[in-house]
Amino acid sequence: MRRPANIVYGLEDSPPPHVTVFNGVQYVGLIAINLVYPLLVFRAAETPAQLVGSLLAIGMLVLGLATFLQVCRLGPVGSGYMCPATFTATYLGPSLLAVQVGGLPLLFGMTLFAGLLEVVLAPLLNRLRPIFPPEVSGLVIFVIGLSGGIAGLRAMLGEKAAPVSTEEWWIAGVTLATMVALNVWGKGMARMLCALIGLAIGYIAAGIAGLLGVGNIRTIAEAPWIGLPAFGHLSWSFDISMVVPFAIAAVAAAMKAVGTIAVCQRMNDADWVRPDMRSITRGVLADGASTVVAGVAGALGTNTSTPAVGLAAATGVASRKVAYAVGAIFLLLGLFPKLTALLAVMPRPVVVASLLFAVTFIMINGLQVMSSRMLDARRTLVVGLAIVAGTAVEVFPTLSATAPEAARPLIGSSLVFSTVIALLLNFLFRIGVKQTATFKVDGAPVQAEKLEQFMETNGAAWGARRDVIDRAKFNLAQSLEVIVDSCEPQGPVEVAASFDEFNLDLRVSYVGPPIELPERRPSNEEIMESEDGQCKLAGFMLRRHADRVAATHRAGRSTILFHFDH
Amino acid sequence: MDLNEEQAGGVTVLQVMGRIDSTTAPVLGERLTAMVGAAGARVVVDFSQLDYISSAGFRILLLAAKRADQTTSKLVLCGVSGKVRQLFDLGGFLDLFTIAHTREEGIAAAG
Repeated sequence: MRRPANIVYGLEDSPPPHVTVFNGVQYVGLIAINLVYPLLVFRAAETPAQLVGSLLAIGMLVLGLATFLQVCRLGPVGSGYMCPATFTATYLGPSLLAVQVGGLPLLFGMTLFAGLLEVVLAPLLNRLRPIFPPEVSGLVIFVIGLSGGIAGLRAMLGEKAAPVSTEEWWIAGVTLATMVALNVWGKGMARMLCALIGLAIGYIAAGIAGLLGVGNIRTIAEAPWIGLPAFGHLSWSFDISMVVPFAIAAVAAAMKAVGTIAVCQRMNDADWVRPDMRSITRGVLADGASTVVAGVAGALGTNTSTPAVGLAAATGVASRKVAYAVGAIFLLLGLFPKLTALLAVMPRPVVVASLLFAVTFIMINGLQVMSSRMLDARRTLVVGLAIVAGTAVEVFPTLSATAPEAARPLIGSSLVFSTVIALLLNFLFRIGVKQTATFKVDGAPVQAEKLEQFMETNGAAWGARRDVIDRAKFNLAQSLEVIVDSCEPQGPVEVAASFDEFNLDLRVSYVGPPIELPERRPSNEEIMESEDGQCKLAGFMLRRHADRVAATHRAGRSTILFHFDH
Repeated sequence: MDLNEEQAGGVTVLQVMGRIDSTTAPVLGERLTAMVGAAGARVVVDFSQLDYISSAGFRILLLAAKRADQTTSKLVLCGVSGKVRQLFDLGGFLDLFTIAHTREEGIAAAG
């Protein structure tokens, strides 16, 4: 593992104590904004403010433990990377549903179930890739953001919500504007902590407008400075109708953990080529185990924090020691009831503004994941129809009431409905997609446009990664150029391209002498002196561009195999 | 492949569009060799609109650079980005040529 130039403190480094503590505080500040998710769920469950304070304290302790689980490598658990834990919008929709149906006991029971499911799924994730291709997982992320934003707006504008006062509109506007302005135009710390600063401004504005309320101020004043949260209220229940929403959230959380840990790997290794599934599996196991802890202790499901890892890449501080500091700070904050009481009484417009700010990035992240693959008409329909299905559930909440009894759990949540539609269409549209495509080239000159079209059309039908198809296009064009120009093939050159979610294989065969695929680059003189040098250069580039190459020559027929990992 | 030639303050800028393969490389080679063949010529080759370059194209560039050395001409490449840059890297050509980021920087480097 070679350290990239932009990393100041690598994974194994020990930064000076002040750097460790300062960075730890910075990450905690970044992650703390996500306490808005449990807050929204506990409010929806009409939990008394005092108990909300206690639940948030438990939440902080859970985040501390989850961060330690991820960074420490205990048995098969933990990626060992600086990858702090956070609460996530992924569990927001299902959690809101759970508290509506069965209150806090059902929330905690189903969170425990989701965590266990993620633990079970961790070793199988790589095999599940064909079922959950990126356009489907991107769609899940997008709908998580969309439904989270609408859930926030419903708290202010929904039928059951109290009417919104002019002051509340102003406070929501000021909070959101602060976060947006600092994020867009701010620099350094101001930009990194834009959400936390916006939150503080929102509180101040609410205080000035008299929206904090005497009761709430008394709750904060009466809370002790130091103390353990109460666990007496804890109980758990299970409801079969909640299995699908929580299962989808668990899969989405696992996929996000895969992505975040892959970013950690890439950030720490200048020679990184592709994800190392061993540390990813350990990381997803830790992520699932953290959600199990959350369910047992009485919190919402947790997930790896992508923004925190992004911040590590920006600052170049990726030391494991910093993750220990983040875990320790969260554990300490969980022991300050006054702080959690302050968070528990967060005014409604501040909650909604913070949520809208957060979900914007989640939705865009989903769009980026969706568009990371080439999309043909089939895949476009999968994504488009599934988004419409999810949006329909949000716009027409009574939709599930008109559905047959058995289908209601699937149509009751936008996340569940859109995911189910996407999975069904994904299966349906596999009909008629050939996993192996063939093509023949007859004589010179090579028709470059036809080769391009062959790879583009099939790449889009397979939903392949753009970068892998581009590499394959080069190898196809360059090898055919050499074969047609220098090998004098007898008859057509046959091309077969085969794809599954993990591999792209190109097979080029012809009757004629084999082309050379040297491991050493020919010298500049060799290249300039003759066309033979030019062919050697082509062979060298072809070998380097593919992940594996193999060449055979039998009974006058030469075959070259180019393998690309996918 | 399409070629477009312009003059900019004593520097000749040759924009190459499309694909450089074994069919088109000789055309580019002929043009480039003529351009850097005059003593003290200053030439910028703009690859910002290039989609593909094969080993035949790289050979032509090496020959042009050699000719430029012989005639004390200056040959600068610019607009080498994305997929094309990857191919330059793959073939070990990034350090062999003077490569400017933009056309303007290329003209300044050649001039």
